[in-house]
Amino acid sequence: MWWYVGRRVLQTIPVIIFSTLIIYALVFLRPGDPIVGLFGEKPVSDAVRAQLESQYNFDKPFLVQWLLFLKDAATLDFGTSFSGQPVTDLVLRAFPVTITLAFMALTFETVLGVTMGTIAGLRRGGWFDTISLLISLGLIAIPIFVIALVFQLFIGVKSGISWLPPTVGGDWSLNELIVPAIVLGIVQFAFVLRLTRTSVVENMSADHVRTARAKGLSERLVIRNHVLRNSLIPVVTYLGIELGALMAGALVTEGIFNIPGVGNLAYKAILKGETPTVVSIVTIFVLIYVFMNLLVDLLYAVLDPRIRYE
Amino acid sequence: MSERTTPRPGQERFVAPLDETPLQEVDAVDVHASPESQWKEIWNRLRKSVLFWFASAILLVLAIMIAFPGLFTSADPNFKDLADSLEPARDGSPFGFDRQGGDVWARTVYGARASVAVGVLTTIIVALVGTITGAIAGYYGKIVDTLFSRTADIFFSIPLLLAAIVVISVINNLYPDRGFWGGVAVIVLALGAFAWPQLTRQMRGAVLEVKTLEFVDAATAIGATRWTNLRRHVIPNSLAPVIVTSTISLGVFIVAESTLSFLGLGLPNTVVSWGNDLAAAQIQIRSGQDLRVMWVPASALAFTVLGFILLGESVREAIDPKARKS
Repeated sequence: MWWYVGRRVLQTIPVIIFSTLIIYALVFLRPGDPIVGLFGEKPVSDAVRAQLESQYNFDKPFLVQWLLFLKDAATLDFGTSFSGQPVTDLVLRAFPVTITLAFMALTFETVLGVTMGTIAGLRRGGWFDTISLLISLGLIAIPIFVIALVFQLFIGVKSGISWLPPTVGGDWSLNELIVPAIVLGIVQFAFVLRLTRTSVVENMSADHVRTARAKGLSERLVIRNHVLRNSLIPVVTYLGIELGALMAGALVTEGIFNIPGVGNLAYKAILKGETPTVVSIVTIFVLIYVFMNLLVDLLYAVLDPRIRYE
Repeated sequence: MSERTTPRPGQERFVAPLDETPLQEVDAVDVHASPESQWKEIWNRLRKSVLFWFASAILLVLAIMIAFPGLFTSADPNFKDLADSLEPARDGSPFGFDRQGGDVWARTVYGARASVAVGVLTTIIVALVGTITGAIAGYYGKIVDTLFSRTADIFFSIPLLLAAIVVISVINNLYPDRGFWGGVAVIVLALGAFAWPQLTRQMRGAVLEVKTLEFVDAATAIGATRWTNLRRHVIPNSLAPVIVTSTISLGVFIVAESTLSFLGLGLPNTVVSWGNDLAAAQIQIRSGQDLRVMWVPASALAFTVLGFILLGESVREAIDPKARKS
């Protein structure tokens, strides 16, 4: 198994290197002089310009810039933002709220999605199945910012519930994140529900479930140990792979509810053309994706005893 | 043994009478008729699905709306009079006016074009790239597979929305002035460039399964080349899951376009589109007044996306033998 983990970790290295190269190249292609942007279109003396250009490596060719970035990134030094703060500090400050938000969303979508998906799958074709189909497809069809704005208006403002405020702000607390987390998780909740339902339906007619029934197990045990355990494999895969997308997608939710998270930081940095910040944040998302993928692969063995790693 | 070879008293045969067994159904099959194709069978099942007809009805209305918007409204979507700002409904304008004084209903009708153009074009690009790369990776295997799969991994590891924002902000700065098709092309490119790996993976998986099946060996045995085999047998038989995913992701791309518009990175704001109208409507929602400006384009968008997703779901049910009701 450790051999397998080692090989998988080695395989992720080219993914990390080339995905940062793509983003670096894109931000590099962006026209306009970043130094002029930094000074707000005011004149810059040549000496200051030369100093700044060498500080941010703007005077070096593209590939050298990128290699220097990679070299520093390997030691977790992501350079400084245009406002002079180390990017690592900026990201570390923004990270806790995004992580908390993402895990609240993940809990919401998993608990509700798996429960409803299982019920729909077990009573296939029944009224619950039909209603949950319509609800889940409807949620996928509505843009998340519309849901966010409507929730903000009706729950945050009009309902007058004081512990569910419409915006969050710098000093966030858990209760303030409840509504944003539901909004963030709502689309994936729909996908989790569909996925669970499909695989429960598939497993209900599988041979091993028939065998379990035939040997006299109670329906509860059959469903818990034989249907659910097998049905959860695709769901776990989906959730693992989508965690990075969930956190990146949080930039819309974070913007609307005024949450000072990583998505917000990334969005502002992209618009300003701040290469170091953008590439660092993307790198972090790529790392999350790679790590979750590895974790999911290892979880397979726990969920499916037939899988063994050499 | 011996007592079984002779009939019991009152028993004429050892097998059930022919009319009691389903054997006659087997006999009734005309073995000389050419077999029905996979797609014909799918169509026969699809025809009986309520979801399929519901989705088709939505998409038909949408198609008419795109081809002949004049049938639905006589107002000009680009005509705005500030005197009409947020005016309620009146004759010829069933849903009133937006903040700028534009006719909400006319803008929604004409906005279908942009959203559907983005959805359809992105899906075509993603499906083409995904199918071809996935088929080649799965069929040829070895070093080719490694090359294609690892490249797909690289693009897949960057979150789609974030990547699209970076691409669009770069192009926005390079070419700030774009018309309708220029604007559509940028979004299609930005979404397409990072969305194809999902289909590559799916197609590769399907091809890996299909290429081991007997009819592929049979074709090889009668002298089909690897290329003919891939083109005539492997790809057509692996397409089903790709078609389902593409139909569903068409809806997802339409939603993504509106999200990009909301972030100010969608179509140019001279283009009439649902995304732009929704983005403009957020001021009304945020101040808690007049949700009508939002819900008309939002419902149009939701119904369109629902149409495509339901189409995909019903085709999935028709294709997948395991998901079928027996």
